[in-house]
Amino acid sequence: MPGVSDRKFAESIAPAAVSCLSPWQQLLIWLNIGIQSFGGGAATLYLIRRAAVEQHGWLTDEEFTRYWGICQISPGINLVGLSILIGWRVARWLGVALALAGLLVPSAAITVALTAGYASVEQVPVVRAALRGMAPATVGLGLMLAYTMARPLLAAGWREGRASLATAWALLIGSALATAFTPVPVLAVLWGGGALAALAHWQLAIRQRRAS
Amino acid sequence: MIDGLLLFLLMLKAALFSTSGIGNLPILHQDLLSRGWATDRNFTESLAIGQISPGPSGLWVISLGYLLDGLRGALFALIAITLPPLLVLVVHSFYRRYGDHPATQGFVRGLGLAVAGIFLVVLFGIMRDAGFNAANGLIALGALGLGATRRMPVIIVMALAAVVGIALY
Repeated sequence: MPGVSDRKFAESIAPAAVSCLSPWQQLLIWLNIGIQSFGGGAATLYLIRRAAVEQHGWLTDEEFTRYWGICQISPGINLVGLSILIGWRVARWLGVALALAGLLVPSAAITVALTAGYASVEQVPVVRAALRGMAPATVGLGLMLAYTMARPLLAAGWREGRASLATAWALLIGSALATAFTPVPVLAVLWGGGALAALAHWQLAIRQRRAS
Repeated sequence: MIDGLLLFLLMLKAALFSTSGIGNLPILHQDLLSRGWATDRNFTESLAIGQISPGPSGLWVISLGYLLDGLRGALFALIAITLPPLLVLVVHSFYRRYGDHPATQGFVRGLGLAVAGIFLVVLFGIMRDAGFNAANGLIALGALGLGATRRMPVIIVMALAAVVGIALY
């Protein structure tokens, strides 16, 4: 495959070029990101991209996008994975440790503080009222999130043809129904969905190759 | 009562088998509710706090950990969500070799669709806990609309919802 060896080469020579920042400087950069990113994933992603690609030239735009894609399919929170990949690129394990420390420690501490604060005021009527308002808002935002998750996948299915689109819809609706109405554990639904889709996609690709 | 170590392992498992900050929600939801260690209310609250606090919204688990098991629960949650992403380095090298295979792409797509489908069911549960009434419906739609503009920071949407809540109740 043409692209792969170029990529491997570029990434093998990269680390030496970028670790010219001291550990303290790196930590500060990550702390900056961790503390400023109010409002969830989009803000954090934006800040990481601005620091890593634009301000410090740790990686190119293309590499950033590729890293982000890898994080989507890797276990755990995408942004944490992305920070690990970038941290590794900059300074191997030290870079990973600094990225995680900067991104997570203050944010986690603030999260705990907010939760603790909430726990002590949760009985206050005003706070209860506010929370009653926020619960459906979480659902509304969650629906938006589900839409942003599912839409590109359904769009890809639509581009590939009727069979692919039907499979995509079947997976979406099927997994919801399976979770809601059968005792099948969630893990099984996830892995099952992934495996079914892998098989279906592979079969479709083979059929398309034969047809062309 | 809640077994701290088992809670950690459950959170670790959920994080390990998810591919996003919200992917662990369905697994954790099922595991914790079936044991009676958490309620839909706990999830609603920690999700809201996760949205408001800085950093990835996936930190909502830390909030949940604190609600269920104090500082220890929060610390365990932090560790539980930090360890699995380290596997990204492994996936990175795997992806370099197999990323273009249709089965890999299919798997990723299927996983994403399954997460979305299950997530819808969880959202339904949260709504049911809050109550299926007109006020909640309107707030949900409003939040959906504001979120759809992509210009409104989540924290502002939540603040507005809080104000509406105070006004109504």
